[in-house]
Amino acid sequence: MLSAYITLIVILVFLVLVAQRKPEVSHKEILSQAVDNTLPLLIRIPAAILAGSFLAELIPKDYIVALLGDASGVTGIILASLLGGALPGGPMIAFPLLLAMFKAGMGTPQLIALLTGWLLLAFHRIFAYELPMLGTEFVRLRLIVCLPLPLIAGFSAQALGQWL
Amino acid sequence: MSVITYLKRELLDRSTLLFIALALAAGTALWFQKGDEAFVIAASSSGMLVLLIAPIILIAMIISCYVRELIPTAVIQRWLGSESGLRGLAVAVLGGAVTPGGPFAAFPLVVGFYRSGASFEICVAYLTSWAVLGLNRVLIWELPFLGFDFVLLRLLISLPLPVIAWMLAKLLTRRRNA
Repeated sequence: MLSAYITLIVILVFLVLVAQRKPEVSHKEILSQAVDNTLPLLIRIPAAILAGSFLAELIPKDYIVALLGDASGVTGIILASLLGGALPGGPMIAFPLLLAMFKAGMGTPQLIALLTGWLLLAFHRIFAYELPMLGTEFVRLRLIVCLPLPLIAGFSAQALGQWL
Repeated sequence: MSVITYLKRELLDRSTLLFIALALAAGTALWFQKGDEAFVIAASSSGMLVLLIAPIILIAMIISCYVRELIPTAVIQRWLGSESGLRGLAVAVLGGAVTPGGPFAAFPLVVGFYRSGASFEICVAYLTSWAVLGLNRVLIWELPFLGFDFVLLRLLISLPLPVIAWMLAKLLTRRRNA
């Protein structure tokens, strides 16, 4: 989190200095525009984070591990890709969950498919950020494009695992 | 405009309402199933997270607004537009991999560039790279939790994914425009 603060502040300072040299750019206007854009997020994002952390506690972990063990093969990879999109919450919630499932005996290709599915298709990220900011059309097209990617990752992990 | 109409029109869109409903339903279910303690832990850890990321959201939004204001559309179109080719792809993949700070930072940046003339396939390549190759998330979360071997295998496999996404997105938009 600290690295994010530092990087973004450095970028911001740079942009402010550049803008300072252009008289037609008004800092005040930009700031009020940014605040206007941020206000709806300050309601939506806390609600999304709260929903995510409640949902994560309710997930039947053992059941998922039994479904997606090493022996689950191709079906397991397909299921994991789809389930990844249903995993709630950000990394603070998802990674402890993934670790618990990994330790409980989930297959590596299935875990890679699950993680990639979560990274690309997670519903909470789509509804909290992408849909409101970029619109239905953008999201629809991006989902079509990204739907096969967790499958590709899972299958290559399986192929690579056999080959190694 | 009264406060309530402002709330309704500006602050509570469908996504927000969905999450409020979801939080209420899941919170109630958790409270019934696992009791007070589990509920309080989950709620307070969310509160901490919100306090940590709220300033980042605002900073990323300000950056997004400056980008839209400062960088001429022609420059963005040349570097990130539909004719930017492999150079645009390289910029998007590299940029995605090094962007720190989660969706609350990445999405405002995409909005800024998309509205100033970056093409759909470049935005998709950037978002895919940010998702599957994002170094910040790998270093802070994935390595400590899942270990070096797993991360190495996953990164190796994920390297081509942004390029595949870029090609699919190009195909999709070309078909639609033709």
